[in-house]
Amino acid sequence: MLRNLLALRQIAGRTISTASRRQFENKVAEKQKLFQEDNGIPVHLKGGIADALLYRATMVLTVGGTMYALYQLAMASFPKKQD
Amino acid sequence: MAHQMHAYHMINPSPWPLTGALSALLLTSGLVMWFHFNSTTLLIIGLTTSLLTMYQWWRDVVRESTFQGHHTVVVQKGLRYGMILFITSEVFFFLGFFWAFYHSSLAPTPELGGCWPPTGISPLDPLEVPLLNTSILLASGVSITWAHHSLMEGNRKHMLQALFITIALGVYFTLLQASEYFNAPFTISDGIYGSTFFMATGFHGLHVIIGSSFLIICFLRQLKFHFTSNHHFGFEAAAWYWHFVDVVWLLLYVSIYWWGS
Repeated sequence: MLRNLLALRQIAGRTISTASRRQFENKVAEKQKLFQEDNGIPVHLKGGIADALLYRATMVLTVGGTMYALYQLAMASFPKKQD
Repeated sequence: MAHQMHAYHMINPSPWPLTGALSALLLTSGLVMWFHFNSTTLLIIGLTTSLLTMYQWWRDVVRESTFQGHHTVVVQKGLRYGMILFITSEVFFFLGFFWAFYHSSLAPTPELGGCWPPTGISPLDPLEVPLLNTSILLASGVSITWAHHSLMEGNRKHMLQALFITIALGVYFTLLQASEYFNAPFTISDGIYGSTFFMATGFHGLHVIIGSSFLIICFLRQLKFHFTSNHHFGFEAAAWYWHFVDVVWLLLYVSIYWWGS
């Protein structure tokens, strides 16, 4: 049983280290290549399609929210008279 | 491809200052809507957009520095000045709350019973949880220094361990302080004692949370190999901020918890 336990330990060790090795490898060089590509794209969009989606979502929320705030301001400025 | 003939950083046009300013408008008008019209929609939109702005703005700073190499020695010097000036402005922010505390506690009015703590207030025992909190933050100052030295010596494993300990201590402080708040025998509306206590310690707690978040980002960046042994200003800025938070606590402890009891 002890031999089985030792074998299991070796296998578990091997599986975990292979799976996590890619996670904690130094990928900075890849990122440097991506962000230094001479394509004229500004840094806030240079990472790919996810950047564009996040940018668009942020803009929609901020500009939309601003319009909503101005609307609420207009509503608050002219209180409805009580009958 | 055009190359610059100087060591400074000419940044790409960015939308984040605009979204940041607009989200500040949404946060403030959101507070008005919440306080006066019982609606949290604007406030929630404001919180969301300010988080989105912060995430993307600082993500871009990491891209410009670690991935594009724009943070030359000269640029880094400017960033150092910037962080020091920012922390100085925060010192003045806390100075105001300490002024308010000393103004009221050095010459307590007859309405308070002419004494400090005021009549009817039972202050927290400075030798219990507040003292533990003091030792936690002092220890975190030691662990963050260990993390820095490990980073400078190229010891990746020790840096991660020490930074993790620092963050854990920060979280522990926050949890303890939250339980103190929950169990305190006085509230923010208990006269000037309650006001000065909770405004000063409350803003300090917020800064502990901000500092811990900054350290967590540094932890993630260290995992991803962003820092080198001689270029890691993001970590240094976080460490300076953390030491500032520690010093403010020491002043709070001595003034409000100890002398003020």
